[in-house]
Formats: sequence, C-alpha cells, structure tokens
Amino acid sequence: MSARPGSRGTRRSDGPVDAGGHEVKTEATTLPTLPGDAHAVQPGSSRTLWGDAWSRLRKNTLAIAGLVWIILVLLMTISADLWVPPFFGDPLAVDTTPGASLQSPSLEHPFGTDRLGRDVLSRVVYGARVSLAVGVLAVSISLGIGLVAGALAGYRGGLVDTLVMRTADVFFAFPYILFAIALIAVLGPSYRNVFIAIGILGWPGIARVFRSSILSVKENEYVDAARAMGASDLRIMFRHVMPNAIAPIIVYGTMSVGGAIITEAALSFLGMGVQPPTPSWGLMLSDARALMFVAPWLTIWPGVAILATVLAFVLLGDGFRDALDVKMKD
Amino acid sequence: MTHLLHVEDLATHFTTRDGTVKAVDGMSFTLEPGETLGVVGESGSGKSVTALSIMRLVQPPQGRIVGGRILFKGADIVAMTDTQVRELRGDRIAMIFQDPMTSLNPVYRVGHQIGESLILHKGMKRREAFERTVELLDMVGISRPRERAKDYPHQFSGGMRQRAMIAMALACDPDILIADEPTTALDVTIQAQILELMMEMQERTGAAIIMITHDLGVVADMADRVMVMYAGRQVEYGTAEDVFYRPKHPYTWGLLASLPRHDVDEKGVLNPISGQPPSLIHVPAGCAFHPRCPHARAVCREQTPGLVDVGGGHVSACLFVDVSDVGRDVAPASGEAM
Amino acid sequence: MLTYTVKRVLQMIPVFIGVTLILFILRAPGVLPGDPVRMIVGERAISDALRQQIIEKHALDEPLIVQYRLYVTNLLQGDLGESYQRGRPVRDIFAEKFPNTIRLALAAIIIEAIIGIGAGIISAVKRYSFGDVFVTLSTSILVSVPVFWLGMLFQIFFGIKMKEWTGGAFYLPMSQMSSADFPDWAHLILPAITLASVSTAYVARIMRSQMLEVQNQDYIRTAEAKGLSRRQVIVRHALKNALIPVVTFIGIDLGVMMGGAILTETVFSWPGVGREIFLAVGQRDWPIVMGGVIVIVFLVMIINLIVDLSYALLDPRIRYGGGSR
Repeated sequence: MSARPGSRGTRRSDGPVDAGGHEVKTEATTLPTLPGDAHAVQPGSSRTLWGDAWSRLRKNTLAIAGLVWIILVLLMTISADLWVPPFFGDPLAVDTTPGASLQSPSLEHPFGTDRLGRDVLSRVVYGARVSLAVGVLAVSISLGIGLVAGALAGYRGGLVDTLVMRTADVFFAFPYILFAIALIAVLGPSYRNVFIAIGILGWPGIARVFRSSILSVKENEYVDAARAMGASDLRIMFRHVMPNAIAPIIVYGTMSVGGAIITEAALSFLGMGVQPPTPSWGLMLSDARALMFVAPWLTIWPGVAILATVLAFVLLGDGFRDALDVKMKD
Repeated sequence: MTHLLHVEDLATHFTTRDGTVKAVDGMSFTLEPGETLGVVGESGSGKSVTALSIMRLVQPPQGRIVGGRILFKGADIVAMTDTQVRELRGDRIAMIFQDPMTSLNPVYRVGHQIGESLILHKGMKRREAFERTVELLDMVGISRPRERAKDYPHQFSGGMRQRAMIAMALACDPDILIADEPTTALDVTIQAQILELMMEMQERTGAAIIMITHDLGVVADMADRVMVMYAGRQVEYGTAEDVFYRPKHPYTWGLLASLPRHDVDEKGVLNPISGQPPSLIHVPAGCAFHPRCPHARAVCREQTPGLVDVGGGHVSACLFVDVSDVGRDVAPASGEAM
Repeated sequence: MLTYTVKRVLQMIPVFIGVTLILFILRAPGVLPGDPVRMIVGERAISDALRQQIIEKHALDEPLIVQYRLYVTNLLQGDLGESYQRGRPVRDIFAEKFPNTIRLALAAIIIEAIIGIGAGIISAVKRYSFGDVFVTLSTSILVSVPVFWLGMLFQIFFGIKMKEWTGGAFYLPMSQMSSADFPDWAHLILPAITLASVSTAYVARIMRSQMLEVQNQDYIRTAEAKGLSRRQVIVRHALKNALIPVVTFIGIDLGVMMGGAILTETVFSWPGVGREIFLAVGQRDWPIVMGGVIVIVFLVMIINLIVDLSYALLDPRIRYGGGSR
C-alpha cells in the first residue's frame, strides 16, 4: 500500500497536491522509466504503514480541517447539556408568549427562534447529536453486515461469492432514497428505524469494496507464501489478508458516515425520519420550508450544519484515501 | 559537416517533491543516416528519457530539458517552436514504445491510427491513407492486411500490435526511428521476429535507428555503435566492436560479465553486478558507479570522471581508463563472449 | 454485439427476481413486523368485510409461494395495485405524473452533461490553474450539499430576495404552482439546476480524474509522437476514452432522475412522480409508495440496460467480446 518500489509514480512523487486532492487514481509523470523507487531508498523511511499514513494525513490541510470540525462537533454535542440550555434555552422548550415565536436573529437568540418559540441555535446543536448518532450507528450496521459478506465472498469465492454479489446487485438496482422510504414505510418512521434502514442499505457498498480489496491482497505473493508454509485459512485471513484489505474500508466507511448524515436529513425532511419534537436538521428544514417567506433565516443554519459536517467527513475520507494510497474506482 | 543527429551535452531533469531527478545529465552522441545506435543501461539509467528528449516529449512542468543541444540535420530541436517540433514528430523522427498492449488507442481501429500520421504529415485523403496503411501492414508482415486494418487493437496479439506500431512509425518514411525497448514486453519467440523485422525495414527504408534496450544481446545483433548509460550519464560510447571487444569501463565489464554465456560448456557462474542502481536524486559523488565498482579507489569518491577518448572515437568515463589492466581479470575474455 | 445484448438481458433476470422478492417480503406477513393488509390499503380504518376481501384478493391466507406467484403475475400484467385512499389504480396515477418528471429529468441531464463534462475537461487540461482549484473546491462542497436545502436557498434567493431587491422586475418562479406570469420553460430553471447540482459535481470530478488518468496512458504518448498537436491529442485521443465512464454515470443518473427526484420535486412542488410519492408518504398511502418503487426500479433497470448497450458502442473492447485489458 505504501510506496511500492517501482510502481509508477505514487502520489508523493508528482507535483503538489491539488486543492481538493481529488484524483481517484494517481497521476504519474509520463515516463515509465523514472526511478519509481527514488523515495523508497530515502534514508530514514523505516516507519510503519500507519505511521507513514498519519504523517501524510497531517500535511493535508483540508483533511485535518475536516477532522478538527468533526471533533469540535462531537465535543459540542457531548457537552451541550452544560452550556446550551443556560445560555440559549432548551431545544424542546415551547414558548407560547406572543412575540416569542419566529424571532429573527438577535443577541439572545443568535439564530432566531422557530414557529414554536424554540431557540434555533440550541436545536442546531442538539440536532448534531441525532445526525452523528445516526451516521455512526448506520455505518456500524453496514460495516457489520458488509464486512462479513465481503469477506465471505472475497475469500471463499465460488457460489458464496456469486450469491453475495448478486444480492448486492439487487440492492444497487433500487434508487437509494426510495428504498429507504419503502423500508421505513414497513418498519414505521422513527429515529431507530432510520439508522437501521440506512445501515441495511449501506452494506452492499462495503461488501463490494472489501471483497475487491481482499481479492487484490489475495493475489500477493506473501499470502501464497503463508499458505505454502501451512498456515490455516482463518489464520491467513486474519493475519495477512484483513490488515491489508482494511485501508479502502476506512476510506469508504468515513465517506459513508457523511452519506448517512445526508440521508437522515433527507428522510426527516420528507417526514420519514426522526419524528418531532426531536431536533433534527432535516426536520428543521422541513419546518422552515413552510415559513420561507416570513422567516428565511430558519433555512440557513440547519443546512449549513449539514453541509459542514458532511463535507468534513468527505474531506477526511479524501485525506485517508491519499494518506493510505488507496486506489478506488468510483 | 552536418550529422543526421548530433546530441551535445543534453541534460534533462525532473522536479519531484523529493528533489530534482537528473534523469539525463550531460549526454553527447551522433547518428548518421542508416546507422543503428544501441543505447544500453539498467532501468532508470536515463535511456528512455534520452529518447523522449529527442522527440521533445518530456512533459513540463515536471520534466524539462535544461541544457545542451539536439541538432537534427543542423537544426536545434531544443530551440524549436512547438509547431516545428510537431512537424518532425512522426514524420522525420518516429518512435516505437515498449508496451504494444497499451500504446495503441483501444477505441480506434488500428488502420485509422496508422493512417492518422499520413493524413497529418502527407496531406493524404482518408481513402488514400487507408490504401497506404494496408500496404504498410502488409510490409510489416500482417496477413490479410485489408481486413486487419479494420480491427481494433484488442483483436491483435502482442506481436501483431508491435508490428502495427512499427508500421505506424514507418508510415511517413522517417529519417530516424527510435525504438524504446520494443521487445521487452513480448514473448521471447516473438522478440526475435520483431528485431528481424526492424532490421529488414531499415534495409528497405534506410532509416537510422536508435535502439534502446537493457538487453546487450539485442544491441550486439543490430547496432553499429553502442552507448552505455549509467545514472543518467554515458559511461562508454563507441563502435559496437570497440564496446563489446575492448570495453573500457568497469560498468560495461559488469554488464558483459552478467550475460549468461552459451559458449561455455560448464554451467557458467553468472556474475551479476552487485548493489542497486543509485537514486537519481542523490547521485553518489565522484564517479556515480563507485559504490558498486569492484575496482573503486578512494579517488573515485571525489573526482567525477570525464569522457576520455581511448582511440578512434571510443570514449569511456573512468578515471582509470588509461590503466587498462585494472580488473582485466573480471572482464570477460571479451572476444569469445560474443 | 448480439451475444452481448442477450447476455446482458439474461443477467437482468436474477436481479428482477431479487427485486420482486425484496418488495414482496416487505409486505409479506410474519416476515417483518408490518401488517400486510396495512401495506396494501394504507393506514386508515377499514371494515372487516373489506379486510376479508383484500386478504382473498391477494391470497394472503395462502402459502407464501402462492402469494409471490400472484404478486409477480400481477406485476407482469402491469397491475401495480390500487390506492384505496384515492380509489384509483396506482398505474393511472403515475401515468399522469410521468411526463412532468421526464421533462425535469431531461432538463437536468442536459445541464449536468454540459457543465459537468466542460468543467472536468477545463480542470484537467489547465491543471493547478485558478479554474482547476475552483472546480475541485466547488465540486467537493457541492457533493456535500443536501439538494433539498440547495433548492430552498435558490427559492429564497431567486424567488423572494430577487423580487424584493429589483422591485419585482426580475425573479424566477419558485414552483410550478407559484405563478402564471412565466412561460412554461421558466418554471423548469430552478428545479432543473437543483436536481442537476450534485450530479454535475460528480460528473466534473469523474471527468477530471478520467482525463488525468487517460493523459498518462501510453497511447496518448503514441499520439503525441505522431506529431498531433496537444489539442488534437486531447480531442481525438483522450476525450473518447475519458468519456466512456462519464457517459455511463450520466446514463445511470438519467435513470435515477426519471424515477422521480423526490426531494427536488417536493421542494419545488413539481407535480411529478417523486412528489406524488412524497404526498403518499404523508398520507401513509403505501400502495402508491410501493407501486412507485416498483415502477422506478424497473425503469432504472431498463435504462441501465440501454446504457450498458450504448457503452458497448463506445468501447469496442466490449462490443467485440473479451478484450485483454
């Protein structure tokens, strides 16, 4: 995964990283005979794969910005009970006194108040809880199913492989958001069912990525060597294949959290997600839609929150991809 | 007197994040019409970059020709405008690449890709170019050329694709044909066929050939002159006879000694050159070959050897080139080797 | 080409079975906590008589395999069930809404293809330029934007604020229903741009990385060595290769959009399939939701098939079976 000697121009050897660091593939210089191992023979390159990856990630400003934002949001939501209600008010506290609802932003309510006089800033902060929780829980479910399915398919091959991959094809045949709606229609709309549905829909992607990275690792000679030395299947799997196949999963998983957050917002916006009065960014936007003429500010902040958080995961995922030198097909 | 090609002190460098790669550093040679020059060296020695420099195909901003002149019939390619260079490319100087599997565009028919040069440089009409393409394919030994011209590259075998590449290169009757490891990616049986074809084509068209290879055997069969490269510099240059029979540089000795020999009865011991080719970013000081040279002395670490003429245009870059008996014992009994 | 077509059509069969199976399971009793009758009539009180009638009609008291066979047979005959709440067949409801959805999808796909491919090419050809940085940055932001929010921002900016600032002289219609002072096509502008936004960013990114990838291919060097100019190399040799995956993406995306862009249509009250599904969700009218999913899945499958076949037209390696690359 790291600088493979002789591999044509790994990312590090060509020009500066572009602003977004976005290529899926590497761009080599056009010369096949450039000493591809020029950096492999650098003195002091005896760090581990992960240490190496971390030092590369650290240099990626955008990825670090994403990481910092994620940590910040995490800290804000964890500590929310300590500072949000005293300063801005309870996110669920309905205020029916005249003039309390639909206040435009002020010092007291920096993001204004909504239809029921609840503080929007407070709801945006608490909304992050829902978003992050759904994102992480959904991706955990996807990982749970996807890794097992992908490992079986990639390692066993044959009929198991066909079965798993055809099932994945069936899942891919559904338009994502509609499938989620159909699932929730059956399960019933609720906070729990949202992350279950998103989680179930996410497994085929994970399985595919994991399967193909297992297949490519399996091709490597050290796996053959281990087998020749009489290592058992399970041992080969856990000692040799898994650690090397995991890098693309880290990339894909990180980006999936962003995807799950956006899906939760969309489902809640459509009324098929988190139910009121729980503060969710999607739900807040759904409320704001009816009030666009009177209170356009209600639209701004929940959306900014979604954008910033999803973008953070996308940038971090991009950063992981570059740092781990993962080559993924779109 | 104007040579067909005269390269003088060529230097091509690449800027990478880890530093400047001096892929070619101070290279000089001449090529006369109809002649074959063999360029030999390990991978990363600057052979291909030399070829790409002549074609001016080194890509800025990373790669740049930073010094020297490349005179084609007296005109300096380095100083030419892009338009002037393009008029030479494919018309007067053509190139064949290493991997025929990837050097043809997968989405166009083979005939179309060969005809493209003809339309571009000879101003032929599509129909006319196609007829000529069929002739060319026939000439390079592709059977049923008229039908095969309408095939896509993936329908050709590796050897056939390289034949098609040769046809493409020869389409405009170039003065110089640069072949960059044209047989490396092919099966051994096909390799010989392709080399034979190239020699036959040379006889028919009178093109000069620059044959780039790491395989001394290839050069021995074809080349009039040989240039040995190491770490971006030329270490020995002379007629094939001089270089093979009277090699003057320890690196050339090493290359010759590492060849498996068929003429020795016993299973001969292979004598590989020890160590790795150097990083071109941190080229060893002094003689670049000194860390791997069995005859290196203290002075080799400090003093960079220049090219010394050892007679009749045979040059070598070794400080001890005059002390011709150094290490004679490890040099192959060169005469018999070939 | 014929073999390829047949093969590709045959490959659809297991997916068809899988898809119908999943949709069937979603309403089968005992498999999931839902009540099958509820999934068929939607959430409203019904008389016991009607309930019994529905159980009989859908063979809900028969073994699962019998139910499934009935379900697939009905589907193949184009019977998507009935909206009990509206008292109309689901098929008729969608047939009415589809033209609107298709109009919107086509408008969006045109925007997506032109802007996405254009931006990708500029970005790759003028690497590290201002334009490239702009394209890379804006595309990564765009892929993180929730479309429905973007639609709302457009409405506020072009529909409300623009009207205020210009004193009503210039603004754009916020939805199909909003006003009659606009020509028909003007209603398309904002929804189409919104619907195209995220995909345009993806197209630009894929196009860019494809162009960069292709430019490093050996055959590009061959083309340069032939003496073609940089422009000729890009237009004749790089573009066609780079476009292959992009065309696939756009094609599949068209399928998804034709399936009704539920979020965009909802935000702009666009009377298409997606909005119909949204309304049905609100009324818990499950037959419309499930019927919509079925129609759209098949539509997407058929469009994917067409895309795959046209992909073969672009890439001779597929057309002529088994390339070695």
